[in-house]
Amino acid sequence: MSPAEAAWIVLVLPLIGAIVLGLGFKSWRGIGAGIVGTASVGLAFVFTLVSLISMLGREEGQRQIASSLYDYVKVGGVDVRMEILVDPLSLVMLLVVTGVSTLIHLYSVAYMRGDNGYTRFFAYLNFFVFSMLVLVLAGNFVILIVGWGLVGAASYMLISFWYRRGTATTAGIKAFVINVVGDIGLVLGVILLLRHTGTVDFLETFATAKETFGEGGDGSLTAGLLLVMVGAFAKSAQIPLHTWLPDAMEGPTPVSSLIHAATMVTAGVYLLARLHPLMELSQTAQTVGMVVGAVTLLVAGTIGLVQTDLKRVIAYSTMSQIGYMIMGVSAGAYFASMFHLATHAFFKALLFMAAGSVIAAMASEQNLDKMGGFKKAMPFTYAAFVIGGLALAGIPPFSGFFSKDEILAVIGEQGGAYWILYAAGYLGAFLTAVYTWRMIFRAFWGPPVAEAKELEEGHLHHAAEHRNPATGEVEDTGVGFPGPDHHIAERAPAMKLAMGTLALLAIFGGLLGIPKVLTPLEHFLEPSFESALEGHAVHPGGGIIVVGLILGTVVGLLGIYVAYVIWAKPAMDGRGATAVSSQWQARFAPLHRLFLNKWYFDELIDLVIVRPVRWFGRFAHDTFERLVVGGAIVGGSTGAVRGASAVVRRLQGGYLRTYSAVVLVGLAALLVYFLLQG
Amino acid sequence: MIALAAAKAPDIDWAGISSLLALFAGAVVVLMVGLLRARFARQTLVPALSIVAFAASIGLAIWQWDEQGSLMSGALALDPLAMIGVIGVGVAGIAAVLLSIGATAPREAAHGEYHAMMLVSAAGMAMFVGGQNLITTFLGLELLSIPLYVLAATELHRRRSLESGMKYLIVGSVGSATLLYGFALIFGATGELDYGAIAREVGEQGLANDVLMLGGVAMIVVGFAFKASVAPFHQWTPDVYEGAPTPVTAFMATATKVAALIAFIRLFDVALIGTSDAWGPALATLAAIAMIVGNVGALGQSSLKRLLAFSSVAQAGYMLVGVVVATQLGAQATVFYVLTYVVMTAAAFAVVEAAERETGHDGVEALAGLGRRKPLHGVALTLAMLGLAGVPATVGFVAKLRIVQAAVDGDYTWLAIVLVVGSMISFVYYLRVVAQVWADEAPAGEAVVRTQTVEVEAPETLPTSTVAADPKGTPAAAVPSAAALAVAGGSQLPMTIVAVVAGAAIVVLGVVPGPLMTVVEDVARAVSGLVA
Repeated sequence: MSPAEAAWIVLVLPLIGAIVLGLGFKSWRGIGAGIVGTASVGLAFVFTLVSLISMLGREEGQRQIASSLYDYVKVGGVDVRMEILVDPLSLVMLLVVTGVSTLIHLYSVAYMRGDNGYTRFFAYLNFFVFSMLVLVLAGNFVILIVGWGLVGAASYMLISFWYRRGTATTAGIKAFVINVVGDIGLVLGVILLLRHTGTVDFLETFATAKETFGEGGDGSLTAGLLLVMVGAFAKSAQIPLHTWLPDAMEGPTPVSSLIHAATMVTAGVYLLARLHPLMELSQTAQTVGMVVGAVTLLVAGTIGLVQTDLKRVIAYSTMSQIGYMIMGVSAGAYFASMFHLATHAFFKALLFMAAGSVIAAMASEQNLDKMGGFKKAMPFTYAAFVIGGLALAGIPPFSGFFSKDEILAVIGEQGGAYWILYAAGYLGAFLTAVYTWRMIFRAFWGPPVAEAKELEEGHLHHAAEHRNPATGEVEDTGVGFPGPDHHIAERAPAMKLAMGTLALLAIFGGLLGIPKVLTPLEHFLEPSFESALEGHAVHPGGGIIVVGLILGTVVGLLGIYVAYVIWAKPAMDGRGATAVSSQWQARFAPLHRLFLNKWYFDELIDLVIVRPVRWFGRFAHDTFERLVVGGAIVGGSTGAVRGASAVVRRLQGGYLRTYSAVVLVGLAALLVYFLLQG
Repeated sequence: MIALAAAKAPDIDWAGISSLLALFAGAVVVLMVGLLRARFARQTLVPALSIVAFAASIGLAIWQWDEQGSLMSGALALDPLAMIGVIGVGVAGIAAVLLSIGATAPREAAHGEYHAMMLVSAAGMAMFVGGQNLITTFLGLELLSIPLYVLAATELHRRRSLESGMKYLIVGSVGSATLLYGFALIFGATGELDYGAIAREVGEQGLANDVLMLGGVAMIVVGFAFKASVAPFHQWTPDVYEGAPTPVTAFMATATKVAALIAFIRLFDVALIGTSDAWGPALATLAAIAMIVGNVGALGQSSLKRLLAFSSVAQAGYMLVGVVVATQLGAQATVFYVLTYVVMTAAAFAVVEAAERETGHDGVEALAGLGRRKPLHGVALTLAMLGLAGVPATVGFVAKLRIVQAAVDGDYTWLAIVLVVGSMISFVYYLRVVAQVWADEAPAGEAVVRTQTVEVEAPETLPTSTVAADPKGTPAAAVPSAAALAVAGGSQLPMTIVAVVAGAAIVVLGVVPGPLMTVVEDVARAVSGLVA
């Protein structure tokens, strides 16, 4: 079987799963739905492996395979085919997506067991995987846009999964709107590019990019790329289009794990990596990407320090980590960014799963302030969280250590202004270590809270009545808001299996790319980045790598130590968990307020966009109303209609006059315009 | 030249006008059959014959597809552009006839008359899309409009319906008058009535900046904008859509749009192509206004028909973009869009009609729980809304993509941005409808009404005197009359058929748009004189 044939099967399997589950969602109540959902994605993973093996059997020069089924749209010389592109880059993405998805489906089989929307959940989840695969496998821009739009829709459906929950539906809408802004950018950008290249096909576009846009690129290329990047930033939650991601944590935890950590949010990184032959021609676009990535990683890191919602802290961490990837991919660190994308998918999915287990033990409570001392009650979850935390903090030999440092090494190697980014990266790494271990110390260390004690005695806490953790409103469990009972990893083998596998990957994932020693991933990806190798490639020297590895270790350990001093030590001394942190908060009150309010981005968007639009809407509404109801402008302008209107006036008052009057006013305006043309 | 044409009877290419004749013949037959006393004849035979007439006209249009030429001394064009118009109108007509089965309107207006008027109106549209002479175009316009004025008022006992017919008539007359005035000015400037000749004269005599000519163009723009409900000449649209019986609204929304836009293309891209520098920016502005007014206006609507009316204003704006750019690509994009629009709108109105018959009103809330009660309707309406919004994998996405592409290609990038932003706004109200469909069951009271009405039978035997004895009409549509509710007991099969077929088409064409696209390319080639 050729790699492309296998890839088509990979694409179709989750679609079949989604359709089967979608048709059956009303009648199925049992665990079957979970098994069908997991099996379809699991099979997709198997076929991805088939595709990989088949790919490895090919010559390196023949590892980019475009395969098309039929002509999708053929218009004005532009031929859009229903086409997929299988190359090492998409294959790596495919492995990550299907692999992690399978594990998360497996986790959900147990985790979502008590939910009344069980079958619906798996139908959505399978649909998401299908959409994501369309995005990843797209062989041209149009299919990419289709996938891009579909994942947005799937994300909306899954964030709003508990649709009786007001906060969840609002969050869904917010995510959708911001992503539509991104979609607009993507569509316009692609069409701008298309105008110059005359083709939507990826390979053809790249092959002719230099001829079309010149060696240094030109204005239209930069404009097109910047618009495309708006799409990438919206999907990957980069500043200033990031505000939807923390709110998206309203969705069920497996959704946060799959969509908002491991797969969909990294689509922006994948897109920029895919478009690297174009990116390299535009210095402006690259700079914008680097700056946005660097700013995002720092801002998100600082916000993560002070949030108290367990899932939101991880969400900000995701934003921050994707900031590294966006920065890296814009600076030419393609291998490193894809490497980090993969390792991040492992450890971040693991962290979310562990968090889900803790939240279940807390009966849906997500506030860190109310957690504590789960170490003894939930040893497996604790271990998983620690492994994920070490990988995220970049402690050797865990996977995150190698991938993050590799990005920064490539950036540092380029010198000059890149040193600022390099420094930002290590500052971000320090913040990462602090907020990650803050979660661990606060949730697992210290004196056990009531729920933890109960669990130690073998009884899983279930709330008497379910309340929305965000607003305190009583929840309607009819639609399955997390369901009447909860599931923790310690008691669910399926969850254990999924988390265990990811934990192994989080530990040993680094083996995919130990600089200078073991670089199978980089070697495999080479054919996809061939053009980059021709002169743009940056190979960090031995010195900077060693410095980076040492620096990364030190910064990470320092961060953990700081977190220990602030949050773990006081709790163990018996001074109370927040004794030191509240001192710090008082000392840096303005900063704390800034971080706590998420740098006021929501307020800024409200001020700059929402309010003017609302004001305009009100203005338009008032004016139209007054025009129509008051008939202000009607006054005797319409002799022709007046006679006829006498008959009708009894029927509808002034309406008709107004209508005709507006027609005449419009006509007058047009006449004036046309006569001026004459 | 006109004198010449009148003096010598023109050769008539019977095959060429066969699709038009089918509609006229159908109208006559239906009118006669409608006079029969048997209930079977009126209730079953008449709609069946109407469908046959529409289908025959579609079939004949396909038969004449490859012909290229003109009919009746150049009065009508025989080309794929005209034929696709006939086909579009025919499809819309069949959908409207299906929706009319068991509806109140044909019963009150008498079945024969109702269907005959629809067929005559469709014949007018067939003339309108083929017209390549100012006189024929105007004739076609009036022929299509006058039956529609009457059709809008066919729910005789319902005040809203009468009002909407009256409004449509008066504002429509203003539009027609303006158009006629514009035609007169053009004739004055060029001395020609024929599209081709007008274009030639504009070129030869350098009339592109002529005051008389441009004055005429301005008035034509207004007249056409009115028919295609492009803002700010759209005000009649919401009232008429809401007031008219839903099957009639469906026919107006779909068939009229096809006819108006194809006539738009033919007139502006053939006859007036020489003055495109003048009308391009003007039409672009109108299109932008339509997108903004339509999308913003739809936000606050609670009546589904009003919502669709505002949405149709916005959609008209999108479709106009293809005319504005005056390129082959633009013509293709517009034709493609208008055809897909027919499908999406037909699906939406089929579900609206079904819901209206059940609950007696067309509020968005009436849809609550539809997805559970009638999954097929729920899915169809969802697909229609997603399609209109332009979500990928529906045909609406492909259509919108092509319009955007045409705009950017024709150097109207700003218009493309307005379009995309407009679509973003439109998500809000389209998704609101979708959310309502899949939300929970309607309040208990409504459900009870529904189950009761199912048991009521035999709508036709209701004494007509109860209808006539209600001279004031029930206030608005809020309180459904007993008759209207009784009809709800009838089969909803026709509506389900329309909804399912149209819904399936939205997806199938969204995934495999190639064949339709090829057809449309053929069509646009008929418009010579456009930049390729």
